[in-house]
Amino acid sequence: MAAGIIAWLYQFQEGLIITDLSNPFSWGLYVSGLAFFVGNAAGGLVLSSSIYMFGLTKLKPFAKLGALTAFANVTAAMLIVLPDIGQPLRLWHLIVYPQFRSPLVWDVIVLNMYAILSLAYLYILMLPDLTGKLQKIAIKVKDPLEFSEKWAKRLAPLALVFAASIHIVTAWIFSTQGGREWWFTPALAPDFLAVAVSAGTTIVLMASVLAFGIKDAYKEGYKTMVKIIAAAFFIHLFLMYNDFFIHTWYGAESSAHTLGVLFKDYLAAHAFEVIAPLAAVALLLNGKVRESKAAIIASSSLLLLGVFIHRFLLMPPAFEAIPLTFNPIGLQEIFWSYPVASGRYVEGMDTFVDRWNYFPTWVEMIIFLGVLAYMYFVVALASDYLPVIKKEQEVI
Amino acid sequence: MRRGWVIDLEKCIGCRSCMVACKQHNGQPPGTWWNRVFTPGSRENQVAPEKGKEYFLPVTCQHCANPPCVKVCPVDATYSTEDGTVLIDFERCIGCRYCISACPYGVRQFNWEEPKKTLYKAGYVENYTYGYPKDFRKDGRLVYMPVRFKGITEKCHFCVHYYEEGLEPACVRGCPGGARFTGDLDDPESVVSKLIRDRDGFNLLPEKGTKPSCYYLPPRRKENLSYDF
Repeated sequence: MAAGIIAWLYQFQEGLIITDLSNPFSWGLYVSGLAFFVGNAAGGLVLSSSIYMFGLTKLKPFAKLGALTAFANVTAAMLIVLPDIGQPLRLWHLIVYPQFRSPLVWDVIVLNMYAILSLAYLYILMLPDLTGKLQKIAIKVKDPLEFSEKWAKRLAPLALVFAASIHIVTAWIFSTQGGREWWFTPALAPDFLAVAVSAGTTIVLMASVLAFGIKDAYKEGYKTMVKIIAAAFFIHLFLMYNDFFIHTWYGAESSAHTLGVLFKDYLAAHAFEVIAPLAAVALLLNGKVRESKAAIIASSSLLLLGVFIHRFLLMPPAFEAIPLTFNPIGLQEIFWSYPVASGRYVEGMDTFVDRWNYFPTWVEMIIFLGVLAYMYFVVALASDYLPVIKKEQEVI
Repeated sequence: MRRGWVIDLEKCIGCRSCMVACKQHNGQPPGTWWNRVFTPGSRENQVAPEKGKEYFLPVTCQHCANPPCVKVCPVDATYSTEDGTVLIDFERCIGCRYCISACPYGVRQFNWEEPKKTLYKAGYVENYTYGYPKDFRKDGRLVYMPVRFKGITEKCHFCVHYYEEGLEPACVRGCPGGARFTGDLDDPESVVSKLIRDRDGFNLLPEKGTKPSCYYLPPRRKENLSYDF
């Protein structure tokens, strides 16, 4: 975390020149990180609200962890976009001069709402257990247990709405860009939802296994979570390949241009984003694997790694396929990209490029890992100091 | 009044004078170009593609009537004026680069580092800068400054500072072939409207629905083509 802050200060001093971004490839690891953490955040609350709305009581012991991981991830999502901003000291412009046609403004609103809501939800769920030293922060109500139950039920539908909206709106940031064939598809928002339910639930599963271990009382709950993870991941695969299929079948040059980036230059990464989570799902669906704490953690990590690669792959086919590409007069068989000024001066390097192969620099990676560490520490610290898991342990 | 321009590809000789004039007048640091000229189908400008036709295509901000960049800007830093010119308020921009991503024409340029640093790296004397030396404000908003801030976006502003003085943009004045015309697209009798009508003016990427204010006139013929049937 400290390294992440130092790396950010260094970037603040030098400018975004220390990233590997350029004018043709203007968003990279940070914005992928936004999509990644937003995805991880959602599943958490979708899960906890489904307990109260759909009566999946088996999942009840994990509700608090769901809300906690949701809070940690949605704040991590907001943190990871900060280093992407060229003028971070002007961020207050977002509050003073919001331009409401911009999906980014909607995203800022829903992400903040979701952070507040998941914190409130967590607080209400913990209320009956806020005793001893923690009594100071408890609001005084007659019957905390009943109060908690009642308000959790009331908040659940609202939480579900915002849980869904953070994915939809984050997807809209990309899918409203008519210039980028890779993103300009109605499949993107539902796909973001599917990936989020899968990844978010995986995070809760991991946190639960770490906190509670493998006990008979929880096995059914874990099984239910794995079913949700698997179903959501298959829906994601369907949405993704359905989109590829339609574009490939129609066979427009622009689609071939975009999909070519994925299937030629990033084929290994694409294979990983599909096969790793598939393997993880297959392992988790196996009852024997679920007997081992280490196996569950390993499989979940594999799935999340696959999802991370999926999020990273949001960028290359969007930016390495230059939108101003056309058949020059008299050259119907050539699909030619109009070069873009890179915006970076490096001696001996071409200023104009028709393709920019981006790979994050170490500064970008350290900042990203710093935010990942922040997310982990929020979950770990809250689990230690707050009654997120205590009550259940006493019961057993 | 909708300010627009027409570029006659028949007259364009691909000399890149407009690029250089634009760069010099508007103080763009090394690596940054608001205006570009290329030879479609060829990697190098002024080199004919192996097959097909040699022509030259200047591309700068298209000042769209349905500008994706303006719609995505979260802080209203980039905006359309009443005459359709798309400008950037350098004091407002937060540097999120959403507009760079949203623009299909690749004309938006980011200041990845302090422009003065880039100039120094490229071999200029320390603190040397070029370009129109004064700040220019329109409606109180800083739409031109000779040395931009680090971490903000910039692009062609249709030489709004010269327009107010009654002058043509730097690229128009710098074009030796007289291939660039500006005028009112709303007035059917203006030079630009007539050229678009009479010479089949077209836009770049019309399928994106951006409605550019920049029109091109197709090139006719640059050499005697022999057809082998």
